[in-house]
Amino acid sequence: MTHELNILLVDDEAEFIQRLAERLSLRGFKTQVAYEGPGAIELVRRGAFHAVVLDVMMPGMDGLQTLNAVKKIDSDVEVILLTGHTSLEAALEGIQAGAFDYLVKPVDVDELAFRLQDACEKRRLQIKQATNSDR
Amino acid sequence: MLRLLRNMLAGFRARSEPPRALETDEALQTGFKLRYLLFKRILNANDKVLNMMAEMETALQGSRPFGMSFTRSRCALISANVFQIIQHLNSLAPGGNYKGLYARFDDIQQQLGRMLDTRPKTSEGQLVLRLDQIDKTQVDAAGGKMATLGEISRKLRLSTPPGFVITAAAYRLFMAHNRLQEEIERRLQAYDTGDPDQAQQLRSGIQQLVIRSPLPDALAVELGRAVEMLQASNGNRLHLAVRSSAVNEDTREASFAGQYRSLLNVSPKHLQQAYKEVVASKYTETAMSYRFHRGLRDEDVVMCVGCLKMVDAVCGGVVYTRNPLNPAEDTLLIHSVWGLPRLVVDGRSGADRFVVSRKEPLVILSREIVQKPLKYRCLEEEGICRYAVEDRESLQASLSDAQALDLGRLALELETYSGEPQDIEWAIDGEGRVQILQCRCLQMFPQPGRDPEAAEAGASDHPVLLQGGVAASPGAAAGAVHLLKKEVDKLRFKAGGVMVIRQALPGYAPLLDRAAAVIAEHGSLSSHLANVAREYGVPALFGVSGALAKLTPGQVVTVDAMGRRVYEGAVAHLFRSVRPPIRLMAGTPVHETLKSVSAHILPLNLRDPDAVDFRPGSCRTFHDIIRFCHESAVREMFQFGRENEFPQRASKQLLVDVPLKWWVLNLDDGFREEVEGRHVKLDNIVSIPMQALWDGITMAPWQGPPPIDGKGFLSVMFEATRNTALLPGMQSRYTERNYFMIAKNYCSLTTRFGFHFASVESCVSERVPENYILFRFKGGAADDLRRHRRVALIGDVLGEHDFDVSVADDVLRARFEDYPMEVMQHRLKILGYLIMHTRQLDMVMANDAMVNHYRNKLKTAIAGLSRRECQERP
Repeated sequence: MTHELNILLVDDEAEFIQRLAERLSLRGFKTQVAYEGPGAIELVRRGAFHAVVLDVMMPGMDGLQTLNAVKKIDSDVEVILLTGHTSLEAALEGIQAGAFDYLVKPVDVDELAFRLQDACEKRRLQIKQATNSDR
Repeated sequence: MLRLLRNMLAGFRARSEPPRALETDEALQTGFKLRYLLFKRILNANDKVLNMMAEMETALQGSRPFGMSFTRSRCALISANVFQIIQHLNSLAPGGNYKGLYARFDDIQQQLGRMLDTRPKTSEGQLVLRLDQIDKTQVDAAGGKMATLGEISRKLRLSTPPGFVITAAAYRLFMAHNRLQEEIERRLQAYDTGDPDQAQQLRSGIQQLVIRSPLPDALAVELGRAVEMLQASNGNRLHLAVRSSAVNEDTREASFAGQYRSLLNVSPKHLQQAYKEVVASKYTETAMSYRFHRGLRDEDVVMCVGCLKMVDAVCGGVVYTRNPLNPAEDTLLIHSVWGLPRLVVDGRSGADRFVVSRKEPLVILSREIVQKPLKYRCLEEEGICRYAVEDRESLQASLSDAQALDLGRLALELETYSGEPQDIEWAIDGEGRVQILQCRCLQMFPQPGRDPEAAEAGASDHPVLLQGGVAASPGAAAGAVHLLKKEVDKLRFKAGGVMVIRQALPGYAPLLDRAAAVIAEHGSLSSHLANVAREYGVPALFGVSGALAKLTPGQVVTVDAMGRRVYEGAVAHLFRSVRPPIRLMAGTPVHETLKSVSAHILPLNLRDPDAVDFRPGSCRTFHDIIRFCHESAVREMFQFGRENEFPQRASKQLLVDVPLKWWVLNLDDGFREEVEGRHVKLDNIVSIPMQALWDGITMAPWQGPPPIDGKGFLSVMFEATRNTALLPGMQSRYTERNYFMIAKNYCSLTTRFGFHFASVESCVSERVPENYILFRFKGGAADDLRRHRRVALIGDVLGEHDFDVSVADDVLRARFEDYPMEVMQHRLKILGYLIMHTRQLDMVMANDAMVNHYRNKLKTAIAGLSRRECQERP
């Protein structure tokens, strides 16, 4: 089910996000990482991602700003937010801004994998439905 | 995105419209899948909210401590999930009139926001106030301690050292400077684990942050001016005692004994540093753990700081105007040491003890002069020092009888003025004048009368290990001995242990929430530790010499504080007099905040899905919203499947050889292959939870209704005439049949057999944290008593299998979750069996004997089910 799912992971904690990317790769996802918002936006502009995992607390451009920018470039891409205990309020804000879901750090990799599967499945169905009714 | 929404709208045009002709089966199939996905997301979020609400309910009981971050985090996450549920429901049924939920959500969310924003809004007022400018009305500006001291020095002819207070306004100014408060809050919120190392780092980090922060210029200038004025009237050699005077200290039955730092004999040129150190002590382990256990929010403690002229005491100590453990005794209690009174409150050494009658003329009833080998005195330049006291002096009374009586009179005057028993710290200076340094209300802990002989007789099998000392906190408790000699021993202390220490130092207070009892070789009833032990209800026996040598680590002992004995082993009968656990959180600001936000989250007003007001506008709480959404989502899924002209997805009747009719609606991937006709065979069903339920339902043939006694039958007839909801034709919606809604990993079953209503909803897959079973059971035709007996019986059986059961009236709810697939399947089988075999049991629930009979029958059958399970496995 995870076959050919392209995921972008964005967090300024480089070590953490690299490890997370590795563990998701083991579960069959194709992953790329970015360490700050602008870099992530550039990658989204260039590549096609099914979903983006975004840390809320980042210096400079924070997760919510990045979310808005990503959604502007590609409204179909699904976003999952990672929040810490200090930024729980961002969960609601993010969901109101169109994020698919949130997870609270520390992240359980399996839970993230489930969420990503659901998010990508939703994206696939929505696109399929859109093409069906365009026909 | 808009385009997508529009397409979805087109895909799920309102139910009344027929599907558009050009839509292919494939499109509909996609529509089904998408809906089911949204439906699952609703269930998932619903489950999360229910769990968090259960946590809030537990916290509301108030017997376990929690902080503001608990309330804040639960509110934030519940909001996020409730919003998701509303969003998903609206996407699932765009024509379904659910938009009004957003407005209800916003309303509730705004109210919660207001309640959680508890930070003080202004920082007006003077930065420094002289002691002779303040009285009790200025508690909010000067803090409790200093306001009281100002009051008594102005209204009573008592001598207090001159000084000033650095006010609440000054504190707020300091904390706002460079956004210090924000940074502290950020760090506090980031910490949410129980890891002690991390907690230690957090605390010391915050303290350093405070100490390193510069004072705002305005405050620095004011401090300089205040010192100059004090020097003008008291000479240039003036030194200061700098101590906390927190707002909210000494209130709400919270003593804050020994919470914060006091710096003694500070040179005025170091006042700024001393001020910051006292403020930083808001974040010591003692203070933070105390706040946590007493339900105080960080922002509840505003650190005003008192600066008094330092008194180089010849002797000093503490007066209690009553014995807190025995208020009826009508005595005053004076503890006195050589030098500064700090030695008494620190519990570091013994103190002379005078018991004085409270009736005029005051008389000394008893006098206990102990060896006082140490004393604190002021150093010339700055600070204080512990000196050894010569043998002769150390054995002398630190207070003369005349002084003791004087002190007693002063103390009584103070008590009369404040109207409550007082805890007074005093010092006598080089010229023999009594100075009042601090006073606050003394909490009383009256003990029920006890018969000492009976207590001893009951313990006759247990050797007495230690005897004597003073009861510092009442009660009796048993536990394993922990000898605490070094700082690191604190880390090894295990919950439920008996803490054995040399000195009753305030630093041990953070262990009190885990300790069964405390034994200290030194220390008195007036020490800070004793104060906190009484508040926490932990029995404490102080002044027991040789305790560390005589007790062995790990040995189980019973401490009987009032009997002043330590017994070997656990003396059970002594515990009978033990107080019930104190509901520490009740009435505290943290608890109050949780209570007020809960009122907008927890109550469920929309109970009846068939009622007219079961609509978005009637949702008053988050619970109402999720209940409404869950019900509506199920209904939407059901109706969409039934009414859509898509034969493969219409509901099918299950082809089985059982007397009842069962209908199955496939939501997504519940069938092995699509079915065109009106019936589905059992072997075409691949829904994991449905298969398990069905196994339970068909495990044993139903033997027909149990034999009814005459009364049981009559009560059914009576109920049927009285309750029209039970009459045929009045039944609602899809309850006329037994309905399964299924997908591979999902199943919901709604059954109604006659008068009995049961529903099961379950997700079972490899995603263990998403697995759950929700069971609801309601109704029955017989009278209340019989119905309740049956509900209790089912609750009993489910409880034994780890279901979380709640019963309100004759409605039973049970949850079971987060177990691997096989365990979930086993529990579903039990439910299937119960649903079939208890359906008319209330008619035979005539008496307890019958109940027991059926209980055993059910249990045997269920045990058989588990056994069969084991045998079936390879």
